[in-house]
Amino acid sequence: MVPDEEPEFQIAPMIDILLVLLIFFMSIATEQVLQVNKDVVLPAALDGQDVSVQGDSQIIVNITWNEIGQSGNIIVDEKAIDAAALTARIKTMAKNDNFRVVIRADKSARYAYVKEVMRAVGGAEVGKITFSVVDKELERPAR
Amino acid sequence: MAGGGGGEEGEFGFQIAPMVDVVFVLMLFFMAITGDKVTEKELRIALPSGQAATDGQVKTPIIVDILSDGTVFVNNVQMGSGASDRQLLQLRELLTRSLEASPEDPVIIRPAPDAKQERVVDVLNACSATKVVKNLSFS
Repeated sequence: MVPDEEPEFQIAPMIDILLVLLIFFMSIATEQVLQVNKDVVLPAALDGQDVSVQGDSQIIVNITWNEIGQSGNIIVDEKAIDAAALTARIKTMAKNDNFRVVIRADKSARYAYVKEVMRAVGGAEVGKITFSVVDKELERPAR
Repeated sequence: MAGGGGGEEGEFGFQIAPMVDVVFVLMLFFMAITGDKVTEKELRIALPSGQAATDGQVKTPIIVDILSDGTVFVNNVQMGSGASDRQLLQLRELLTRSLEASPEDPVIIRPAPDAKQERVVDVLNACSATKVVKNLSFS
């Protein structure tokens, strides 16, 4: 049977779909807000786990590295601190066994320096350490 | 594009065409920035707690050495061709085989003081890919 009326372009369902797509892309584009330090170029690793943000039960420790001076800095909440201060700070923050330390170390940082940070974390009797990585290779931004 | 329009008597109607245009532009914008986005991920380890093993089972550690030039050795056997081998497939294969045989064996990463964090992460990535998380530690 042939309907009398010709099918016409339905604008309302199209707008519905467009809005749903828009909300989808907006939500995944603003999914995570992390304490990013622009001086840290994270190493790439394809098999890392997804970030599980746990609110107050974590501390983010940025480790920058100066290739010329062969020296590093520990930066927490945008302030440079030393290893002893880091241990003291973690001790005051770690209230339960689930507390973890997220280390965002620059890809050029030397292990000896990262080890100092891990030792400072161990000094605060926190065993859970997480290294931040990215899923794509990043280039160091030109200065 | 088809759209609404004002009434014939000069009333202002809801204009559908500009709205669809704006929605399209917004969607394209978010689609474009999503493709460029670099997602942050994690590699988890547990620091050694110092507690002795209680089950009495003898465990053979798998010691992964990382030299300052990026070469990786496992129990003194070189893995891969050198620092350019980012995937470390040989290490992954060895870890998979070893842990199938004895899943409780600890994996100890022992980087040289001058080893770069990038290379340490390559090894951690290989461990993560082969599901070594529980018994992973640094020397």
